[in-house]
Amino acid sequence: MLGVARQAVEAAKAAGADYADGRVVAEESESITVRNQQMEGIDRSSSEGIGIRVLVNGYWGFAGTARTEPEEIDRTAHLAVEIARAASRLPMEPVHLAEVEPATGTWHSPMLEDPFNVPLEEKVALLMEATRRMQTVDGLAFAEGGIDLHKTRIHLATSEGTAIEQTSVHSGAGIEATAIGEGELQRRSFPNSFRGHISAAGWEHIAKLGLIEEAERTATEAVQLLKAKECPSEVTTLVLDSGQVELQIHESIGHPVELDRVLGMEEAYAGSSFVRPEDRGSLRYASPLVSITADATLPGGLGSFGWDDEGVPAQSVPIIVDGLFENFISSRETASVLGLPSSGAMRADGWANFPLIRMTNISIEPREGSLADLIGDTKDGVFMATNTSWSIDDHRVNFQFGCEIAWRIKDGRLAEMYRNPNYTGITTEFWGSCDAVGGREDWTLWGTPNCGKGQPGQTARVGHGAAPARFRGVQLGVRG
Amino acid sequence: MPGIIGPDEVRRVSASALELKGADGVEVLFMHEWGGLTRFASSSIHQSTFREDTGIRVRAIAGDRIGVAASNDFSPDGARRAADSALEMANVVAPDPMFPGLAPPAQVPDTQAFDEATSSTTPHARAEAVAQLVAQSPEGFTAAGAFETLASEVAVANSEGQFLWAPATQASISTVMTGPDHASGFAEVFARSAAEIDPAAVGARAGTKASASRAPRDLDAGRFTVVLEPSAVSTIVGFLAWIGFGGRVLAEGRSCFSGKEGQRVGAEAVTIYDDATAAGTLGLPFDFEGVPRSRVDLIRDGVFVDGVYDLRTAKQAGKATTGHALPPPNPEGPFPLNLFMEPGKATLEEMIASTERGLLVTRFHYSNIVHPVESTITGMTRDGTFWIEDGEVAYPVKNFRFTQSIIEALTNTESIGRDTELASEFFFSASRVPALKIASFKFSGRSDH
Repeated sequence: MLGVARQAVEAAKAAGADYADGRVVAEESESITVRNQQMEGIDRSSSEGIGIRVLVNGYWGFAGTARTEPEEIDRTAHLAVEIARAASRLPMEPVHLAEVEPATGTWHSPMLEDPFNVPLEEKVALLMEATRRMQTVDGLAFAEGGIDLHKTRIHLATSEGTAIEQTSVHSGAGIEATAIGEGELQRRSFPNSFRGHISAAGWEHIAKLGLIEEAERTATEAVQLLKAKECPSEVTTLVLDSGQVELQIHESIGHPVELDRVLGMEEAYAGSSFVRPEDRGSLRYASPLVSITADATLPGGLGSFGWDDEGVPAQSVPIIVDGLFENFISSRETASVLGLPSSGAMRADGWANFPLIRMTNISIEPREGSLADLIGDTKDGVFMATNTSWSIDDHRVNFQFGCEIAWRIKDGRLAEMYRNPNYTGITTEFWGSCDAVGGREDWTLWGTPNCGKGQPGQTARVGHGAAPARFRGVQLGVRG
Repeated sequence: MPGIIGPDEVRRVSASALELKGADGVEVLFMHEWGGLTRFASSSIHQSTFREDTGIRVRAIAGDRIGVAASNDFSPDGARRAADSALEMANVVAPDPMFPGLAPPAQVPDTQAFDEATSSTTPHARAEAVAQLVAQSPEGFTAAGAFETLASEVAVANSEGQFLWAPATQASISTVMTGPDHASGFAEVFARSAAEIDPAAVGARAGTKASASRAPRDLDAGRFTVVLEPSAVSTIVGFLAWIGFGGRVLAEGRSCFSGKEGQRVGAEAVTIYDDATAAGTLGLPFDFEGVPRSRVDLIRDGVFVDGVYDLRTAKQAGKATTGHALPPPNPEGPFPLNLFMEPGKATLEEMIASTERGLLVTRFHYSNIVHPVESTITGMTRDGTFWIEDGEVAYPVKNFRFTQSIIEALTNTESIGRDTELASEFFFSASRVPALKIASFKFSGRSDH
């Protein structure tokens, strides 16, 4: 397939491109859903095609096609060049690409057992047993389990000499218990909401998740939530579990530090960012306990790779160091605007899309102590776990996030359970109020497979390492 | 430029899946889409793209066991491989006792939804339209947005003899214009054809809004009377599609309308229906399992009537399908993709003039569910939020967060606009909705811009 990518590059150059890259992408996925020990759905899908990106006189053009026969590649390359020429209808400063050494080689995400080779019967049996265990709990309406597998193979060639091949395999699974009654619908999920815990790994990741072992507890909590008190509306201390810290990082740090968003390139869709280019090294983003790193080299991360879709090597970039904002995640184009090298964060959704700046694995660095230690050290407050809902403004300033479950913390112990918990805040005020971050023992590298961005809409698979954390003076319990 | 593949070729390719040996039934969903999107920011074209893709999604039935396999290899071999894979899965998985069978043969009318010129719009034509829009930016302001022209054809064939095929086009242009002192304005148009879109008018509308929104003032959050423009109303109606109208969430008690059939869920003037075949929307005449679509009343004169169904949820509920299946396997169930809210008689100006104190909202942003059964959602305002005083737009205000029950908002609806627009927030298909004036709408927080 590198030959096809190279042919695309040559065709684009012949058509007048100053720079060209050809990216052949083949994707496979398998998804299984079981509900109350009945099949809800099982499907496999595959997609293959090529995306050709060109620069002509400093203007981008992109065209993608599912057909890879030579004449179609040639036609698509010419179309990409025509698109770039059309873009010059509105003059702008020509695109300049930050320098990068041409890369050659191959990369594969770590994997012990190929999940696509595991018999379907074994996968279905796991979900059947997990939902059976959940259904032993009285009062449960629905017991669901899901498995999702994804494989991506990319061949990238550029007119600068890059020629690389990389393969990623992602495996994930989760269970969800739903209880319904008295005008309430309550859910509990394990290990995380929205289909569980996905990792760049093989079947070994799913096998050790403990879906069956945690089924009964998960279902019991869902039923208990029906009779729990509403989360009170108050300003208090908030402790978040690792899964909710993941979402908090994603929405209020990961997206705001995307340099294309900062430069206004996403303005019309999901909006821009309160962070400005001149904020590097001066913006107090969070308390000194908070350090955030974008690391595309983390084993198991959905945002890990050998090179990004511009052939920039995977790297670890400090984003926030001891609370101070230090670096954006960037592309070759946007980095050059600031006179910097690319952070290697350009990735496209499949073959049919223009690469965008996407989060790699954006993680909070662990500090000290377990979740139990953190709760034990809290005199009064609320502990919230497992994300259900997220909303943030178009500059990533005002947010409101909901969780599945909460408990009162009283004198270092979990007390009564609360349902429908949510909290709201202002990004830098919230992160500035962080006075504890848990240690490595409760730090988890989560996968977020559904990060949306761009027009046409693209979905990225990104990672977040997160530990539980504590925040002071947070507004909880927003009601309609 | 690519073109229509056509029903004959789709039949030929599908045949190799429909002939699958060992299956009790086979369904082939075919999709072909091509088009370009010219994206601009800072008043320049920064990402301009074109793509063409095909898709075949095969559902194989073995007794009451079902497997689904999809591929973008549109060839007899590709279809056969997908069918083999689907049957392999069907043969090893657990049964689905609610499997209703495949759709029987039926006819649909030609909706004349395909515009040849839109399907072959050139990148130069899109760039020219964008230039006309950008030219409307006020001095010192810049424009961002996208102009997209899309063509598609969809077909459903199954082993019961059903074969339906329909082509369609759509065009959309949207922009956010920004300027000094947090000025921001928005406008958007969806249409069947590019010829229906006037880029300069869209730009002028956003520019006027942006100019007026300069230097927004701080205002404490609280409950206000609001005048929601159609884009903001599309969020409210769109979320009802998600948490309210689906036959599966209704039957399972997960809908905000579960158990509310025949009950009042809105002011008497509120009527919401789904109709993929009506003028003024962008629908296909059949659903993704090959059932013809027609108008379905969801809320009539403020009273909840019923939801939408596919074959499986109709069997579950003991009702007839309304033709709202999504592509299989679709565990979430049926979904209304072409919602309408019936217009009223008021102009937007009359709604504002009748408001003593309140807010004019252009659109909502990044909304999400807070409490599905109570129909409570949260989100932000953006791109033009204004304080109304003594019947006039007084000044711009900084953006608010709302946290509001949709049913309560529909119940508190005081006035409905006479003009409708096709509009959408993020995740949903576009709904045709008017402006609404609503009392006591809850704003729970605010932002800094």
